[in-house]
Amino acid sequence: MSRAIPIGKIDAQEIMRSGTLSCQGCGHAILARLVFKAFGPRTVYATVPGCIWITLVRYIPLYWRGTVFEGGAALLSGITNGLQAKGIEDMNVVGLIGDGGTVDIGLQGLSAAAERNEDIFWVCADNNAYMNTGGQRSGSTPKYAQTTTTPVGKMSRGKRTRQKNVPLILAAHNVPYVGTASLAYPGDLIGKIEYAKRLKGFKYLHVQSPCPTGWGFDTSKTIQIARLMVQCGLWPLYEITEGNKFRLTVKPRELRPVTEALDHQRRYRHLTDEETAEIQTTVTNRWLQLTELDGKKLPF
Amino acid sequence: MGHKELMVGNKAVAYGAKLSRVEVISAYPITPQTTIVQYLAEFIAKGELDAKFIEVESEMSAQLSVQGASFAGARAFTATSGPGLLYMHHPMMGCQLPVVMAVVHRSNKSMQADHTDLLAQRDTGWIQLYCENNQEVLDTCMMAYKIAEDERVYLPVALGLDGYILSYTAEPVEIPDQEEVDGFLPPYKAMTAIDPSIPYEEWVLNVSRYYGSQESWYEHHRNMLNAMEVIEEADREFSEVFGRSYGGLLEEYNCDGAEAVIVAMGTIASTARPVIDELREEGKDVGLVKLKTFRPFPAEKFRQLAEKYDAFGVIDRNLSIGSGGVVLGEVRNALYSTKDKPAVIGFHAGLAGKEVRPEDVRRMAEKTLRAAQEDVEPSVTWI
Repeated sequence: MSRAIPIGKIDAQEIMRSGTLSCQGCGHAILARLVFKAFGPRTVYATVPGCIWITLVRYIPLYWRGTVFEGGAALLSGITNGLQAKGIEDMNVVGLIGDGGTVDIGLQGLSAAAERNEDIFWVCADNNAYMNTGGQRSGSTPKYAQTTTTPVGKMSRGKRTRQKNVPLILAAHNVPYVGTASLAYPGDLIGKIEYAKRLKGFKYLHVQSPCPTGWGFDTSKTIQIARLMVQCGLWPLYEITEGNKFRLTVKPRELRPVTEALDHQRRYRHLTDEETAEIQTTVTNRWLQLTELDGKKLPF
Repeated sequence: MGHKELMVGNKAVAYGAKLSRVEVISAYPITPQTTIVQYLAEFIAKGELDAKFIEVESEMSAQLSVQGASFAGARAFTATSGPGLLYMHHPMMGCQLPVVMAVVHRSNKSMQADHTDLLAQRDTGWIQLYCENNQEVLDTCMMAYKIAEDERVYLPVALGLDGYILSYTAEPVEIPDQEEVDGFLPPYKAMTAIDPSIPYEEWVLNVSRYYGSQESWYEHHRNMLNAMEVIEEADREFSEVFGRSYGGLLEEYNCDGAEAVIVAMGTIASTARPVIDELREEGKDVGLVKLKTFRPFPAEKFRQLAEKYDAFGVIDRNLSIGSGGVVLGEVRNALYSTKDKPAVIGFHAGLAGKEVRPEDVRRMAEKTLRAAQEDVEPSVTWI
């Protein structure tokens, strides 16, 4: 299992160049910086269109290739097999892919790569919508969140359905590593990559990346929002190792009420008390289930 | 010297890939392509071929994974048929990596062959080579890597063989010795290869020099045009080593002193050869132009042919719905600027696998010969 690295002890090489094309306060820029510190320079990465492409290309000076939106996992499978065919076994083959390229259009290829247990490390940079095309809903948009295709109006209360749980879908493939991470817990995030990157086979880390532009919060509050999402139980941090061993890696002693996180975000400002209560009930019940599972084996 | 074996077209493809020492293979089952990858999987299982095999979940992933492998520095191979090829269209578009793909032609209006599948990929920027028999299939595989990996070209190649007519029909095929092939085809040196000794700034120029600009299209087009010369060179070199030639861009068969020629791709060319021989014996001056390379399109070659022949009868085993024969359009486009324009008439034959019999070829050839003398109507005939 992974071990969180204390923030003061993160002294890895800085890969990311200064300057960024991302919006002010973009979670992806922070994410890219942390992730590549953990992977280090012996890394080849792939990406697909979206905010994360814009964040990475030209600012992460490592071998890379971009491809079609749906193609991340197949491209990475080819790269890792090509490297193995050439006798190169000591490079990290990393996908940095947004939620669209992971949970929606890319899921077929991703599931297949996981099933084949390809030696790749997939990092999902999840900002909960198609932010690069103007904030349309994705399979990773949470229930009731307003997006440009789930606008709030007389006939609509935002997104109708819940977020697709892709970390658990991937875990059901019985792969060597699945984890979730948050920008507000960089030690946890880097510790997870440090641990998992040494494993052979398919590794998956799903990172929530708050988006000031799409979620509607002040650009100075990215980390604060990321932390509240964890502390309110809206984004639980866990990992699944050895195919099925489940462990919560960050366990707030007591969950804060979800309103503490949601009230900062314009995408939720239409919520009624009943809708907020529904979200709270969902979160509380899930948290109880997860604490129940903590330290146990999942039935995969 | 190699040895002869009786084999179906799909096995000839598999031998072609094996002799080319492919390092990564990825493909998804589809009739009538499937047995190609079964043969390759068997070669690997028996230890006769040292290659990685990625068992993907779709053609789209097959296409992308061979691109990934080629990018990383490994010689990569895939194969598909009609609908699978259409599913690959998105990642094929604009690809500038020297992967090779066998396309076992399958119509979208039957399971049998026509060329509409690969011709629908006309503008994706892939070199397209069409084969008429199983020996040509095997030989074209090896030539395809030679052409694709040439640094003047550095583009993907699709080689076509007619579904069922070649894929599942056995013919005697000479399998060359591996040493001979190794002499013809050196190991792949990827321009994008992941090599820590190359500084990033230098490496990145090799992979995306013109991305985001009109120049990126121009560069791709220029390399495709360069391929004309490289294809001719590869055919000459192949013929020196193995004693077999396919004409490079195109082949003129029994054309000496001909007034008219029919133009055919794939197995129709093979059916046409004895028919043309008969017609010539009867004193009818009609020859065959077998078009091997559809992309890059050898327009200049056709202009040279127009100096010799007064009529062209283009046989299209395809259809651009609402326009007509794809090859007919290309030939007319090439010949429009010639001074004494020859007659160019068209035929649709063999679509959805409809059998093209020798008597059908005779009809088409005789009509083309008439067109050298007089106006013939209609100018396009469905056979």
